[in-house]
Amino acid sequence: MANNQELTNLVNYGLVKAHIAMGLVFFIIVAIMGFLYSLQLDGIYPFPGIEFLSPGRVRMIHTAGAAYGFLVNLFTGLLYWALPRFTGYRVLSDALGWFMFIALQAAVLITVVAILFLGQADNVEWGETPWWIDPIIVFWLLLHLVQFGAPLFKASQRGPLYVSGWYISAMLVWTPLVVFMGNLIPRFWSAGTGAGAVQSTFIHDLVGLYVTPVAWGLMYYFVPIILKKPMWSHGLSLLGFWGLAFFYPMNGVHHFLWSPIPMFAQYSAVFATVAIEFAVTSVLINFMMTIRGSAEQLKYNVPLRYMYTGAIFYWITCFQCAFHVTLTFQKVIHFTDWVTGHAHLIMFGTFGLWVLGMAEYVWPKLFGKETMYSKGMSEGAYWLLTIGVFAMFFDLTAAGLVQGFDWIGLNPWIDSVNFSKPFWYFRSITGIMMLTGLLMYAINFYKTATTAKGLTAELKSESV
Amino acid sequence: MGKMERFSFVALVAGIIFFLFADFVSWALPMFVLKDIPMKKVEDLAAEAKAKNTSAWSDFLRIAKLYYPEQFKKYYKEPTEEAFAKALKIGHHWYVAEGCWNCHSQVIRPVSNETLRFGIPGVSNTVSYPSEYQNELQAPVLWGTKRVGPDLIREAAVHDIGWQVAHLYNPESTSPGTNMPGYPWFFEKDKNGNIVPNERGLGLLIYLMWLGSWEVKPTKEWALKD
Repeated sequence: MANNQELTNLVNYGLVKAHIAMGLVFFIIVAIMGFLYSLQLDGIYPFPGIEFLSPGRVRMIHTAGAAYGFLVNLFTGLLYWALPRFTGYRVLSDALGWFMFIALQAAVLITVVAILFLGQADNVEWGETPWWIDPIIVFWLLLHLVQFGAPLFKASQRGPLYVSGWYISAMLVWTPLVVFMGNLIPRFWSAGTGAGAVQSTFIHDLVGLYVTPVAWGLMYYFVPIILKKPMWSHGLSLLGFWGLAFFYPMNGVHHFLWSPIPMFAQYSAVFATVAIEFAVTSVLINFMMTIRGSAEQLKYNVPLRYMYTGAIFYWITCFQCAFHVTLTFQKVIHFTDWVTGHAHLIMFGTFGLWVLGMAEYVWPKLFGKETMYSKGMSEGAYWLLTIGVFAMFFDLTAAGLVQGFDWIGLNPWIDSVNFSKPFWYFRSITGIMMLTGLLMYAINFYKTATTAKGLTAELKSESV
Repeated sequence: MGKMERFSFVALVAGIIFFLFADFVSWALPMFVLKDIPMKKVEDLAAEAKAKNTSAWSDFLRIAKLYYPEQFKKYYKEPTEEAFAKALKIGHHWYVAEGCWNCHSQVIRPVSNETLRFGIPGVSNTVSYPSEYQNELQAPVLWGTKRVGPDLIREAAVHDIGWQVAHLYNPESTSPGTNMPGYPWFFEKDKNGNIVPNERGLGLLIYLMWLGSWEVKPTKEWALKD
């Protein structure tokens, strides 16, 4: 506990708790929104004819909320934990941290009110926030840059940064640029095809230059900590990072292949996307070789299992991407549910599972406890979420092929809707699984935080 | 190698230089290639529709004079170019705000028989081309990423006004088996108790009948004159 006291001085536990808790709340809310939207596809939407619960609006909360409510909250909370620990310096200011916390929740809530009640939305995918809130988000991200940039900058005066530091340094610079570019350029400084090129770059950059680097940065911190051993290869870490940094920003236009965007931009996006697969594989090899010899821990350690499951899903998604990014695949699968399945496997299956695993590792420690309240709920949530998201991915991928070939076949449009129905029903069932898992996970969190008894580790493994 | 692992190096090289290079290739260069296409404001689109007497303009007059004259007068006054521009803006605003673009794309690709499915039978089978998007109503662009319903960029020639009204109010009535939700809040009751589109409904209707109207050639011969 003495050790814990020291770390309390380095890490602001309150900020970690607040961000993780709000992130979980928004995770559940956006999952419910997604589930509601899936019921509309099934034709059994429970609130027809109610303006502010119109499925189109609910769907925008699902995506925009996932970005800013769920992912940004959880990543920020985990950064408050991890960053001071691996740099050895506190973040810039706790007061700024609380201001940023409140500002972020306010921005998300204003977005929800604006989209549901005021009819204010923006047709940038993943940037559905009304345009007047985007400058506020950019400003928030600049604060985020100084808040987390300060310890990184101080640490790098002393010597080279650890791998996580590279990812997070780059992400801190990229994110405000990306949000500014994607939300404001298409509206005020371009239109049409040019705007489409910017928007597609934005969709992919928000994944590739915010979510991916912050998540990998945290993975490079948490995995060696949990395994109590260093990463297998520093060279592969370097290769993975610089591969991502160079190729990822060029991927975006692959969202609009066969569109009026000039072909050279489309070809460069395809090339860069295939190239990124190699960088991803190098990162995966590094992680797999790191766990070699310690794989037994996956049996006992749920957080670690979340992280490796997510890593495998990550590789599956990227491998799939290297194929379906080609112009040939795009003829069939563009505009179909294949893409939806792909997006869910990466956002929920990888980044969702990662943040849940990391949060589960951090959460008991924040309350001076050794384990989560219930091992059973912990395991149950893991399996429901993992099986749920993989089943959804499989189901939607198949649905995408059915839709794609049906459209090429020039059947009446309604056929593709009818053919998709069984897949959509099944998708709603997987949604129920994922929601149940999330609720189970949240109850476990709540109980861990509030229970009076000291929870001690009873695990067989040495390292917990 | 040590230098590569510093905050300032990563922030400058990865954070700024790589990012700018990628943006240059991904969208700055495409924008440069397309820079000669004139950018149109909504007012320009309205003026063009009137000058060329496109089907959008005749459908606009039909809505204003034949279908819903009282409603139109109430919300948009006279059927002028300015009223047309205002209706397009309102229609576009609600098309975006309702998330129509989550299920309906606005782009026809040159592959997968899309020109046959979404082109205009007997009139046009054009693939989408850059200049038709170079206007204020496509900023940000509405290409979309998912189709649950069909593409709408040639909608002007596919369905008529009556169909659109019934479809917006209750999609089942025109498309059995559809899973599109209805939008009753785009309608109100007039003094005779008939369900008629309100300001937003009229705007959306005019916007939908504008989509692709520039490809309907020659202008529908039953077009109304002023």
